[in-house]
Amino acid sequence: MAAETVSQHDEDDSELTRLLGAYIACATGWLVLSTAVGIIVAFKFAYPEFLTNPYFSFGRLRPIHTNDTFYAWASVALVGLVFYVACKTCATRLYSIKLGWITLALFNIAAVLGTIALDIGFNNGDQEYREWIWWIEALLLIAILTAAYNLIMTVARRKDDDIYLSNWYTMGGIIWTLILSIVAFIPLYQYGLGQVAVQGFFMHNAVGMWFTPLTLGLFYYVLPKLLNRPIYSYALGVLAFWTNLVFYPIIGAHHFIFSPLPWWLQTLAIVFSVAMLVPVWAGSANFLLTMRGRWEQVRRSYALPFVFVGVLGYLLGSTQGTFEAFRSLQAVWHLTNFTVGHSHLTMYTFITFGIWGGIYALVPRATGRAPSLMLTGLHFWLATVGMTIYILALSIGGTIQGLVWMSGAPFIDSVTAIAPDWLWRSIGGSLMFISHLVFAWNVWIMLGGGERVASRIEPIKEAA
Amino acid sequence: MVGGPPLGSALVALAGGAITLWVIVAAIRMLISPGETDPSHPKYSVLRGDR
Repeated sequence: MAAETVSQHDEDDSELTRLLGAYIACATGWLVLSTAVGIIVAFKFAYPEFLTNPYFSFGRLRPIHTNDTFYAWASVALVGLVFYVACKTCATRLYSIKLGWITLALFNIAAVLGTIALDIGFNNGDQEYREWIWWIEALLLIAILTAAYNLIMTVARRKDDDIYLSNWYTMGGIIWTLILSIVAFIPLYQYGLGQVAVQGFFMHNAVGMWFTPLTLGLFYYVLPKLLNRPIYSYALGVLAFWTNLVFYPIIGAHHFIFSPLPWWLQTLAIVFSVAMLVPVWAGSANFLLTMRGRWEQVRRSYALPFVFVGVLGYLLGSTQGTFEAFRSLQAVWHLTNFTVGHSHLTMYTFITFGIWGGIYALVPRATGRAPSLMLTGLHFWLATVGMTIYILALSIGGTIQGLVWMSGAPFIDSVTAIAPDWLWRSIGGSLMFISHLVFAWNVWIMLGGGERVASRIEPIKEAA
Repeated sequence: MVGGPPLGSALVALAGGAITLWVIVAAIRMLISPGETDPSHPKYSVLRGDR
């Protein structure tokens, strides 16, 4: 009987590992594609005559870059990782491996069709991050729905009474996103100011109510396991969960400061943007205090440097978002490239580094194969240096751009003033893209291209 | 900056500010003294091996 149980567990783990590997492989392919498109878009600013064919026009490529990054790279990688975390924290197998494969297929079909549709000129108008036409968005919604069902049913099969904190965040994120997606895609009020309000609700919450809780849920599992130390304060994590839920949903309206949206809605968005400092600082402090005194272990780890940068990205990006919401600063930064720098500080420095940390922590443990420390380090430093150049260039350039606009000078003066920063952005972006190629090679090694070398697998220790 | 009814904005800011202050106090308390020393607390269970 015991032998049968062990055998069943091995089979379950093997199926889960194959599924996790497929999610990570697909996500990595989408990361390389979407950021290759991002590089083309970046170089168009520095060299406007670069690739003028309609299929390579800015208006078509930009939403391909953003939608594929959101829904094909980050979403697919995170769903694969949270399935794995749910199984491990709940000491059970995934509710349905088959449904997991269906979810992955739906994400990929939606991304392929969405990419083709955008490139041949079919889109949902200028609704940022929801440019895919409605029936492709419906496929994405079904993918999230199937993922939600599988995740919740898996957690429901847990052996303990308690639901571990990671699963609070991941289940919360996936349920909120279902609500968010349904509200965003119902056509009844998608016109005039109603559409503006819904757009603010969707575009901001797609980051804060989907990617953020899933990535934080990942941190609450990976950090304690790699450091062999519990999270500093579990209660603080719970407080951050609820305050994120209370404060976050309304703050998207801060993207439309000075618009005809009701003034009280704009004010509420600003006030709750300040309130968001509570979950952000509480969560960041919780992670950093969990790492305290273990910096040598962080430095020598494959995964922890990525998690550390992810935590810093969460702290800095979200705090910057609070300050950006102030009317006095919006007057300078609104519609400038500063916002693009901010979105990369959050989606790249926080979310993407966080996902990389989760992949380097969990995939070698699942497959028994790990990349070399040198290539992992190369990935880390190329991405870190590239991202730093990218964000500094757009933050400085965007501020100059806004100040030139406010001075009343001709628009072309702002273009001339920011031109050097656009070139630096392209250089930083190129380093980031090269790091993605190194990462793709590392994924290939972890998923079967490399030998099983036990000494390279970062131990996830167990408490005595 | 001008615009909008000042009373409405003030009420929104007061209500939001009061909630924010309350959770700031709670967060500081948890940061200073996390407690949670009971070995059966769920934060320790995640360290005790996966299945």
